[in-house]
Amino acid sequence: MLEQILINTLIRGSEIASLAIGVTMLFSLLRFANFMHGELAALGAYFTYVFVAVFGLNVWVAAVLGAGLGGLVALGGDRVVFSRLRTSPGVVLLIASLGLSILYRAIIQGVWGVEGLTYSDEVEPIYFIGDAVITQTQIIICCVSFTAMAFFYALLNHTQLGRAMRAMSDNMDLAKARGIAVEKTIRWIWFIVGAYAALGGTLIAMDTQLTPEMGLHIILIVFAATILGGIGNVYGAVIGSFIIAFMENAVLTIDWGFLLVPFGMDGSLFLPSGYKFAVSFVALIVILIIMPKGIMRGSEGD
Amino acid sequence: MIELALFLGTIICIYAIMALALNLQYGFSGLLNFGLVAFFAIGAYGSALLSLNGVPILVAIVLAVLISTLAGALIAIPTMKLSVHYWAIVTISIAELVRVVIQNEEWATGGTFGLGDIPQPLIGTVPPEWYPTSFFALTLVLLLVCFAICRSLVASPYGRVIKAIREDEDYAASLGKDVPAFKLRTMALGAGLTGLAGALYAHFTTYLNPAAFEPIVTFIIWAAVIMGGKGNLKGGILGAVVIVLLYNSTRFVGDYVDLSAQTIASIRLALIGFLITAIVVIRPNGIMPERKKVF
Repeated sequence: MLEQILINTLIRGSEIASLAIGVTMLFSLLRFANFMHGELAALGAYFTYVFVAVFGLNVWVAAVLGAGLGGLVALGGDRVVFSRLRTSPGVVLLIASLGLSILYRAIIQGVWGVEGLTYSDEVEPIYFIGDAVITQTQIIICCVSFTAMAFFYALLNHTQLGRAMRAMSDNMDLAKARGIAVEKTIRWIWFIVGAYAALGGTLIAMDTQLTPEMGLHIILIVFAATILGGIGNVYGAVIGSFIIAFMENAVLTIDWGFLLVPFGMDGSLFLPSGYKFAVSFVALIVILIIMPKGIMRGSEGD
Repeated sequence: MIELALFLGTIICIYAIMALALNLQYGFSGLLNFGLVAFFAIGAYGSALLSLNGVPILVAIVLAVLISTLAGALIAIPTMKLSVHYWAIVTISIAELVRVVIQNEEWATGGTFGLGDIPQPLIGTVPPEWYPTSFFALTLVLLLVCFAICRSLVASPYGRVIKAIREDEDYAASLGKDVPAFKLRTMALGAGLTGLAGALYAHFTTYLNPAAFEPIVTFIIWAAVIMGGKGNLKGGILGAVVIVLLYNSTRFVGDYVDLSAQTIASIRLALIGFLITAIVVIRPNGIMPERKKVF
């Protein structure tokens, strides 16, 4: 049982993490919680679907193309909307991103319908690790996600762009004064986080299916992970993703019967599976109330 | 035609009451309540369940308002000190949580099958042919009462404090104002108003199901307040009128253009999203901007 929980945590966590690093980057640079991030992920997943179903490409080639398009959508959002709000308070950007998320979701519903879609119907090979089961796709999901995170680490620490990103998230005014090309860097960041979100969306869709609601479902989980990790802290966001993934998987499998003992009742108590995605909401609310600053040092919003 | 006008009129009044609530919370206090629909749902299910269990309807409505006020205060107590961004995230999560609970607790709420045969007020006292008119009149009167209450509140010392909090929390605190307490009161008050809208909605439609409490309800009200003018009560009501009419006008698009119901639903959704973003970028103060007193 524990093995299965850990494996599922690994898969789920790597899906969430590719979105969480984007949310946390945007928060530390532009000072707002990006509500359209889940919709970027969903759009990316649907772009991949188009490349697979319409053009007949291999799903992994399609995933890369989908990520590229997702990045362009994010960049477009910045050009059309967010670049006009550079001097506005974070709240205004937040509301604008909410509006965009509704718009994107409407587009997804209008173009691809409300029925769930999948990339392929083939039965895939499964592997056993002890008693736990993992599918081939899930193994590749983890590998892809970890590679993507390694790339992000390299980008952040070993490139000119990464240095500029870190400088700007540390102190925007100082970065400007130092002559960093702030606007250009912001555009790059939008492209990169958009691509990562789209990739994450594709991974989620591979593991489950494509639905128009996936954006809203995932964004709240991603926020929970980001806040737990200390908003604005990239490494914290990754760790937070795995913790939230573990909670999601553990809560449903744990027998909460022991909670009944003090009330003189006996027996087992499992959470109904209908509450699966409520777990992260509760986690989110509890985290915010108990430790709003997260487990690692992050940046402050306005 | 007259029935449709009365139906839309009643819905507009119900949404306008919520727009007043959100204006109080966001427009005047700067609270980002993205979970408005939670209180709408609590008011609706509260009043419906109470009246289905034999409580007189008017008492049920009053109790439902009290319950949602209490819910607003309870949610506000632990979260009041959070920054606005977290507050937005928490409230939208709570709203989804409320919806998931309604969906899953079938024994009480009927789950996805919904809750039917909700009794209507005044049903015996008014002739049936006048019933839609009198329900509209009832909601309109309640809207005007709520408007009068809100207007006197924002003009009162309390109103000045919440506006000060919106402009600069630290500044308000430095004047010795208990910032969290004021936020809590605003939250509870707004939740109560939203609960009233929910209760009216329940008795108006006589049928509730979780699908009626998706986040889109919150977003419609947001669009209304942002469009009409944050910090301007009349503007918020005007926004509600415009948005509800726009949103429902898409019903008739199908009569002229051959579009599937699903495409039309997507167009409505897109309209709301587009309006929110466009107004925030192009005209951040809405159609009727707040009239700020200059001293």
